[in-house]
Amino acid sequence: MANVIVKRVQEFLKRFPPFSFLNPSDLELVASQVEVQFLAKEEILFKKNEAARPHFYILKEGQIGLYDQNEIKDYCDEGDVFGVLALLGKRPYIYEAKVEVDSLVYSIPVSVFEEILEKNSKVALYFAAGFASGQVVVRQDLSTGQKARGVLKKDNQDHSLLIFSDPSQIQFSERVIHIDPSATVQAAAQKMASESVSSIVVCGENQIPLGIITDKDLRNKVLAKALPLDTKVDHVMSSPVITKKKDAGFSDLYLSMIKNRLHHLILTEDGSPNSPICGILSDHDVLLSMGNSPAVLIHALLNTKVVSEMKSIRDRAETMLKYYLENEVSMDFVASVLTEINDVIIQQAVKIAQNKLSEEFPQMKSIRFVFLCLGSEGREEQLLRTDLDNAILYEDVPKELEKIAADYFLQLGAEVAEILLACGFSPCPGEIMASNPKWNQPLSQWKKYFSDWILTPTPEALLRASIFYDFRPVAGFTGLSEELSHHVYENIQKKKGFLSYLGQNAFLSPPPLGFFKDFIVEKSQEHRDQFDIKARAMMPLTDLARLLILSYGVVGINNTFKRFEKLGEMEPQNAQLFTQAGKAYEILMRMRALEGLQNQNNGRYIRPENMGKLQRQLLKSTFAPISELQEIVRIRFQLDLLRS
Amino acid sequence: MSWWPFSKKKEDSRAYVQQFLEQSKAKTPGIRSIQQLSFVVLDTETTGLDPSKDHILSFGAVKIEEGKIKINSSLELYPESDREIGKSAEIHGITQRLGTISQEDFSRTLLPYMGNSILVGQHIHFDKSMLEKITGIPSFPNSIIDTANFALRLEKGPQANWNHVNSKDYSLDQLCERYGIQTEDRHTASGDAFLTAQLFLKLLKIAQSKGIQTYGELIKS
Repeated sequence: MANVIVKRVQEFLKRFPPFSFLNPSDLELVASQVEVQFLAKEEILFKKNEAARPHFYILKEGQIGLYDQNEIKDYCDEGDVFGVLALLGKRPYIYEAKVEVDSLVYSIPVSVFEEILEKNSKVALYFAAGFASGQVVVRQDLSTGQKARGVLKKDNQDHSLLIFSDPSQIQFSERVIHIDPSATVQAAAQKMASESVSSIVVCGENQIPLGIITDKDLRNKVLAKALPLDTKVDHVMSSPVITKKKDAGFSDLYLSMIKNRLHHLILTEDGSPNSPICGILSDHDVLLSMGNSPAVLIHALLNTKVVSEMKSIRDRAETMLKYYLENEVSMDFVASVLTEINDVIIQQAVKIAQNKLSEEFPQMKSIRFVFLCLGSEGREEQLLRTDLDNAILYEDVPKELEKIAADYFLQLGAEVAEILLACGFSPCPGEIMASNPKWNQPLSQWKKYFSDWILTPTPEALLRASIFYDFRPVAGFTGLSEELSHHVYENIQKKKGFLSYLGQNAFLSPPPLGFFKDFIVEKSQEHRDQFDIKARAMMPLTDLARLLILSYGVVGINNTFKRFEKLGEMEPQNAQLFTQAGKAYEILMRMRALEGLQNQNNGRYIRPENMGKLQRQLLKSTFAPISELQEIVRIRFQLDLLRS
Repeated sequence: MSWWPFSKKKEDSRAYVQQFLEQSKAKTPGIRSIQQLSFVVLDTETTGLDPSKDHILSFGAVKIEEGKIKINSSLELYPESDREIGKSAEIHGITQRLGTISQEDFSRTLLPYMGNSILVGQHIHFDKSMLEKITGIPSFPNSIIDTANFALRLEKGPQANWNHVNSKDYSLDQLCERYGIQTEDRHTASGDAFLTAQLFLKLLKIAQSKGIQTYGELIKS
């Protein structure tokens, strides 16, 4: 029986179409899922071109204007339904919704309404006929003769992203505008002007690229410094240049632009800076071919210090992620892009926090520290905004500063943690966060932690291993983290037996398949009959990869599938198994992320009965390398001896 | 489960009470932004105004998370009362109480629902006392916000004093009228909780425009 609150909402909705077409039980279902928000005058509910949210809106009270570039298109009053592009094909909003008068807005989840659209033709027609405010796209579609049903069922296809499955579609200019190093800046500027390009490559003999001059260089290095017009270009060019091979594959090219924050990437015959130039790829080329791209998102992130904007950009990244996953873009690329985006968010958060505290703690400005990511973000594998594990490590300070440093860094950690939370990341249930004093310590203490864990591998210390040994510096002074890595490896070398203990971790969860080749599903009440893809399949692989890579003393590779790749190089006799294990891990990451995106959760629990036959087989095939690897590790680290 | 007077004392220290008290030990950092806070807006209908004598007839609540009232979190409960046993329905003449549940079940549902959320209500101290009594917990550890008091402070400043205002101006009816919230009918705990939640959303917005952005600042105000 519906309670009074649901009934109130129901009574309101019932007065307005399309809700007036619903039968009482559907109406109650919709009403029970409504979210109510209050917006003050001048607030923006959504922006033009912003990705559609998972709900659409009905105005309870107030007035909202729909704008296209400051031009008013429609006013919504009480009972008006708007923002429906979220419902129809999930296209980005075509208008901006601005609050004209303080307004009470009801949000209705698309997921609830989609089912109703399927079965209630009146409701479908209501939308198809474009009665809801600001619904121009549908009107146009209808005019081309498509039936309402067809429109509503059409898949959301954003061709801009398909580029990743067909890299040949990327257009870059093969004709590169270049100039001699001895030419003057004026000559360079004239050439750029006549070709109307924003950059020019400085080439030596045989078209070997020496440097690059951009509009920005002319502004910052020439005009602002009042250099004479006859200054030689090699005096002001940016050099050396980063180059790539022309047929390097789009994701490779694009990643190096993202990572190096390049606006122009020079392509040469063999990819080295010592071979002739044969093309140039600009971020403009890339942007033109893509709407919602990593570069756009990262650029936007770098240019904001507003936390709510950071969150909405991260939300957009999720849309992009879904697209990548569904289109089988390589996991290496997907994980790198998402890691980069997460890293930039963290770096911005650290900056915001530093600025906020700088006045209060002037003496802390010169104290070096590093913000460490642990766990999956440390391994560069965090696709969804699941638990965030992190820590702060700062240099040892003189005795008199110890207290104030501890206070400062704890506040810094807490600020960063709050910003990340506001960006939609989940807090770590185990409190492994920079806001926890225990994990916010000077270098000497961190060294002591690891020494203790290695010297006395208690079960608790071993469990921590899975999180702490994958630390990665994300913001601040990297040198500190390197010093810690060095310390860890030195200690492990001294006590090889530690690895045997660590090996036990990889055996904590039983094999994923039961006697009858069925999935081992959970027995607990909450996740009954679900398969825990993280604990049963992913964690064993992560643990195995970490153990083996630590045993070789390899530093700097945190990513699980990259670790397997490296292991394959080091042990050619097992290369095939390691390749399989890496592939298996990629498949599992993809499955989990898709599951999580679909259900808006962490994707950890999968229902085998809901999977297609093909999917089940794919999942099962990922288990084979797990048991083979476990066998190798068992023999290599003599785990049986430990157990007996 | 049936109500069984002899096991009541023992039941009070049961797992769900422990769990409730345990989870509220996690302190919310003062710098957490208002958007990230979780509120439970609640109201009770009672037989009178004396927590030591009177008892709860109905309870209604709804949660505010990420700045939004989540209708699917709305909760409506009708606890049985001690007095009710053997007595006729005369006490609760107005409200038709369908589906009453034992006090034990009431507590078992209420406590995990509240968790360590901030409790919000019109004259929340009274509701809190009533709920403490029925659950047998001496004092809820949750932070609380009284909407009447919150409105007074936003309107007259942090030094405002109840002695200098007409408290009638801060009744739920008056506040709803002043802040433009439609009050169709005011009969039930749930209905009032929903109105209070809408009022609270508006007050929060005003608070934010006055520079109150974080948990610490909100609780101080």
